[in-house]
Amino acid sequence: MVNTSGGYSAFSLQEALELRASQDVIPYAGGTDLMVGKHRDADYLFLSRVPELRQITEDAGYVRIGAAVTFSEALASPLVPQLMKEAVSGIAAPAIRNAGTFGGNLANGSPKADSVLVEVASDAKLRLVSRSGERTMDVDGFCLGRGRTALRSDELIAEVLMPKQSPDCCFYEKVGGRSALAISRVSFAGIFDTQDGRISNIAAAFGAVADTVLRFRQIEAMLIGRTIEEARALRDSYVAAYAEQLVLTRGRVSAEYRRAVCLNLLNAFLSQCGL
Amino acid sequence: MDRLQEIRFVLNGKEASYTGSAADRLLDVLREQFRCTGVKCGCREGECGACAVLIDGLLRNSCCVAMGAVEGTSIVTIEGYRETARFAVLDRAFAQLSAVQCGFCTPGMILAAEALLSAHPHPTEEEIREGLSGNLCRCTGYNAIVNAVKSAAEEGEGLW
Ligand SMILES: Cc1cc2nc3c(=O)[nH]c(=O)nc-3n(C[C@H](O)[C@H](O)[C@H](O)COP(=O)(O)OP(=O)(O)OC[C@H]3O[C@@H](n4cnc5c(N)ncnc54)[C@H](O)[C@@H]3O)c2cc1C
Ligand code: FES
Ligand code: FES
Repeated sequence: MVNTSGGYSAFSLQEALELRASQDVIPYAGGTDLMVGKHRDADYLFLSRVPELRQITEDAGYVRIGAAVTFSEALASPLVPQLMKEAVSGIAAPAIRNAGTFGGNLANGSPKADSVLVEVASDAKLRLVSRSGERTMDVDGFCLGRGRTALRSDELIAEVLMPKQSPDCCFYEKVGGRSALAISRVSFAGIFDTQDGRISNIAAAFGAVADTVLRFRQIEAMLIGRTIEEARALRDSYVAAYAEQLVLTRGRVSAEYRRAVCLNLLNAFLSQCGL
Repeated sequence: MDRLQEIRFVLNGKEASYTGSAADRLLDVLREQFRCTGVKCGCREGECGACAVLIDGLLRNSCCVAMGAVEGTSIVTIEGYRETARFAVLDRAFAQLSAVQCGFCTPGMILAAEALLSAHPHPTEEEIREGLSGNLCRCTGYNAIVNAVKSAAEEGEGLW
């Protein structure tokens, strides 16, 4: 008996997009989110043999990580930024990193997604493709809330575009229950850069504390363009502005605890930047 | 662009095929259709590593793999791995250092050790703990297992 239920395999991006547009399919990359929990009675579109989604390349402005690149593959690539490697090396354990992908981490729509945290902090962009065309959008605009993204039902994530930058300072920390397999309780990524003695970038992103990864550009603006001296004088009011904004959803660990952890991580980041 | 009809793969060195749903779990198929009962089901959530197998040489939790994703791959379970010289070394080390109590976690531990030693033939203790970090053991407290892997790396010098 040949049972034809359960899935399609695509061998090129074009095939995958045809299927995505014409059939009721669920994209399947590493399966580490899809296969957990109840068995789905749906047709999967298997992406792991689509070469266009498996590459890590670079151009003048970006390192481009294919959506079906696994975390282990990224760790082995000289192109992937160090901050991303730090976050990804803390994901679960080898067997999960050998399967889990960047596209899956994004499309799953979790505020705990470790690679997404770094993408938000890095001002990364996504290339979304469909049979009828493609669009590029900020990662920030893609994540809309728990399990909700801007992905259309005929689209696939093709690649993540990480801006090439060599900032003065990068900071990453994940505070979890236990080291292996700990889905983040609170995670933080920071990027700091100066140009001609003035702050040109001070990105701070908080993961696992709200419905999406949080980043407050209006608070960052307080310090952009300032000298280090000026920024030091503003540090307390800067941290106070975060304290006010970090109104957290209740979770497994109390909101107050997580807010305190966020502020500690922010302070550690600022100290590392010399502020 | 094929609707998957028959899923073909290599299991422990032999051609194999599956005609059920591409959405079925590799863990269930290995245990029920292919009688590889050394592949254990501890959690079905990717958390425990009891169901670990090697797919194209990489450690994977078979509970998190749909059959459609194994098309064209080569899978090794403990049933195949036990025929190897490397297994013999790990087997002896696990026995000598009391790294096995109930044995439920052992097939996954052994395959995680194989994946680790293939990448790091001379692992540090930290590398061993990281390599086994996705495999839970309720009995041994882990130290005996870490020691066994360390000992296997020494005894099996040249095999990995
Ligand atoms: C034990 C365990 C521990 C974990 N620990 C962590 C952790 O520490 N940190 C962390 O961030 N995550 C963790 N995860 C979650 C998971 O591993 C990641 O979210 C992973 O990135 C998912 O990728 P995947 O390829 O396996 O996704 P899949 O399960 O294949 O897919 C997930 C979702 O993405 C969609 N999708 C996949 N690829 C595309 C694409 N190219 N275009 C559009 N949609 C797509 C799917 O349709 C599905 O909705 C853990 C999971 C497990 C089981
Ligand atoms: S049964 Fe697969 S990891 Fe636990
Ligand atoms: S020996 Fe019993 S779970 Fe490890």
